[in-house]
Amino acid sequence: MQQTFTPGRVVRALAPLAWIGPAVALIAVVVVWPVVVMVQSSFLKISRFGVVQGSNGFDNYTKLFAEPDFGGVMARSLLWVVAVVGLTVTLSLGLAQLFDQRFPGRRFARWALIAPWAASVLMTSIIFKWMLDPEVGLINMIRRHLGLLDALGGADADPLGNAATAMPWLVFVAVFVSLPFTTYALLAGLSAIPPDVYEAARMDGASRLRTYWSVTLPLLRPALVVATLINVMNVFNSFPIIWAMTHGQPGYSTATSTVFMYILKGSDIGESAAMSVVNFGMVIVLTIVFLRVSKWRAEVS
Amino acid sequence: MNKRLVGAVTLGLAAALVMTACGSEDPAGGGGGAAGGAVTLKLVAADYGDGPTAENSGEKFWRGVVDEFQAANPGIRVDVQVINWNDIDKQVATMVQNGQVPDILQTGDYSGFVKDGLLYRTDEVLSPNTSADLLEKFADFGKVEGVGYGIPFVSSARALFYNKALFAKAGVAEAPTTWDELKAAAEKLKASGVSQPFGLPLGNEEAQAESFLWFMGNGGGYKDASGAWAIDSPANVEAFRYLQGLVKAGLTTPNPGTKNRKDVWADFAAGKVGMVNGGPMSIPIFEKGGLTDFGVAPIAGKTGPLDTTLGVEDWIMAFNKNGRKEEIKKFFDFFYGGTAAQKISDTYKLLPVTKSGIEKLSSDEKLKPFLDALPNATFYPFQDPKWSEVNTQIKQTIGSAIDGDPKAVLGAIQKTATAN
Repeated sequence: MQQTFTPGRVVRALAPLAWIGPAVALIAVVVVWPVVVMVQSSFLKISRFGVVQGSNGFDNYTKLFAEPDFGGVMARSLLWVVAVVGLTVTLSLGLAQLFDQRFPGRRFARWALIAPWAASVLMTSIIFKWMLDPEVGLINMIRRHLGLLDALGGADADPLGNAATAMPWLVFVAVFVSLPFTTYALLAGLSAIPPDVYEAARMDGASRLRTYWSVTLPLLRPALVVATLINVMNVFNSFPIIWAMTHGQPGYSTATSTVFMYILKGSDIGESAAMSVVNFGMVIVLTIVFLRVSKWRAEVS
Repeated sequence: MNKRLVGAVTLGLAAALVMTACGSEDPAGGGGGAAGGAVTLKLVAADYGDGPTAENSGEKFWRGVVDEFQAANPGIRVDVQVINWNDIDKQVATMVQNGQVPDILQTGDYSGFVKDGLLYRTDEVLSPNTSADLLEKFADFGKVEGVGYGIPFVSSARALFYNKALFAKAGVAEAPTTWDELKAAAEKLKASGVSQPFGLPLGNEEAQAESFLWFMGNGGGYKDASGAWAIDSPANVEAFRYLQGLVKAGLTTPNPGTKNRKDVWADFAAGKVGMVNGGPMSIPIFEKGGLTDFGVAPIAGKTGPLDTTLGVEDWIMAFNKNGRKEEIKKFFDFFYGGTAAQKISDTYKLLPVTKSGIEKLSSDEKLKPFLDALPNATFYPFQDPKWSEVNTQIKQTIGSAIDGDPKAVLGAIQKTATAN
């Protein structure tokens, strides 16, 4: 059949563009363009003062992979994501269940949970850093009063000073700020489960545990998958907590890949860009692996 | 349900893209442009004060200078952007990368811009009177291969501060002059209940300064006499072994590799630290914290007090991209010829870099030990193009030489310095 281009047809064909155009433009400028520049930069030789000195081939990547701390940083990033997201989701499942019950003061409790979410992450991190200050930190003072600490000002009163004690605190703060979002996402999922399926389970004589395992969790899966996925990406790219509390120090022993990338920027911008690209790749790989494992496409039966 | 999920996942992916991408692009300040026929100079400066809201913020200081300058030069406007020390290097690098260089930059280093021809020579933007007033020694550090590019802005020198009241309570009569005396004094302070006898900031803020002072105490340094990198020299390694001993005995700030000088100085001001290395710029911090009864002494070395100290010089420089040579010259003449250079020394207790400025301050009792130390001061090897990269690594990793093997940690830094 012969295609005829009448003005009306063209207008009709272009009409959707008016609707999606702004969004496409926005994504192109805000999302795609920075990624292009990032990838470009990772192949350039850029002085520490920002002067582009030409192409550098794969040298930035070679240098990055040869960094003695690179392996440790990547392993720590993975551990960091697994620990923070694992704890966050586990705790949030419990909290969501709790907040789904009717109890006096529920409204207040739900509001209170928003607090760590509403406060800036950087602010929360700085507050925790102060509370852990070896001389005047509130948490240390409480430990002192409880007899858990002999004296203020020493290494015992300085949990952020070495990696073994700093990492658990960093994870704690990261979980603390991730809980509200995750709990609310799961809470929304819980309230979407129709009451009649629970009734049916009761009729069949299922135990509470069995009900939770076979009814609640499967029906909660879409919410759980989305909440976990967003957390994985968020936590992997999390920068302010570690930066504000330890700067990745001592050495690089508390640095994750984002923090490492930022520190590298101070000495070699090209290498830092290479780290960004690796980071970006990791997020995508993590996401794909997670979606595979959780079989998010599978229909809830 | 599934469709919605796809939407959410897509949204999440988009969010991940944005978050990752954020790391590579810092928003640079907007460029200046000519407004109403007037020429606008863009000035980027580091903040010597206590942040944007403080009484002594750099913003306020520069506002005052610029208002006066604009009143005297109606054809020129100056846009000021003050950036804190932690971010200024990265932000300026981003400006350069994006081609939005300022006309005037005031920061801690100039040499990296020289090689790429980004700067005006000093003789292009300074009138003869102004350059004649600059101390020759300082101006010489602003030269690369005999040509001046960096204009000295302010300077400082280091000395040992000690808390007289804590010393008296611990029964220590005088400031220590050797490492053995320092350790003995620290032990007495500890016994009298001082939690941090010696304040030791080896965290990323200024680890390169504290380490350098200890290297000097053992005749070491970042470079040897021939000008070759010697970061893992036996003298430097021994200095860190001595520090390890102090730290293990609990005589210093705990976990020094994570502590910044700002916090250690605050602890000194609060009477929790017995002694600490500091400079003239720490005096206002100590006084603001309520500590006025402190003594200043030369820094202790292994066998005797240092006959040199760390001198730090900050710089101001002019970029040639926008071709505003004449306007920049007017501004520099105004700055050095008028009261501004004097005002910055007064406000932040930094040492002046001009002959006239040093003369004016010579009667200040508190600044005298530092002014006396300046002629003999040793500076960072910042004229070496490798220094900025080495410096970044020192800041991040040198503190871990306390817990680990100093030879290995210093060796890794040496490797960066000598890599081609």
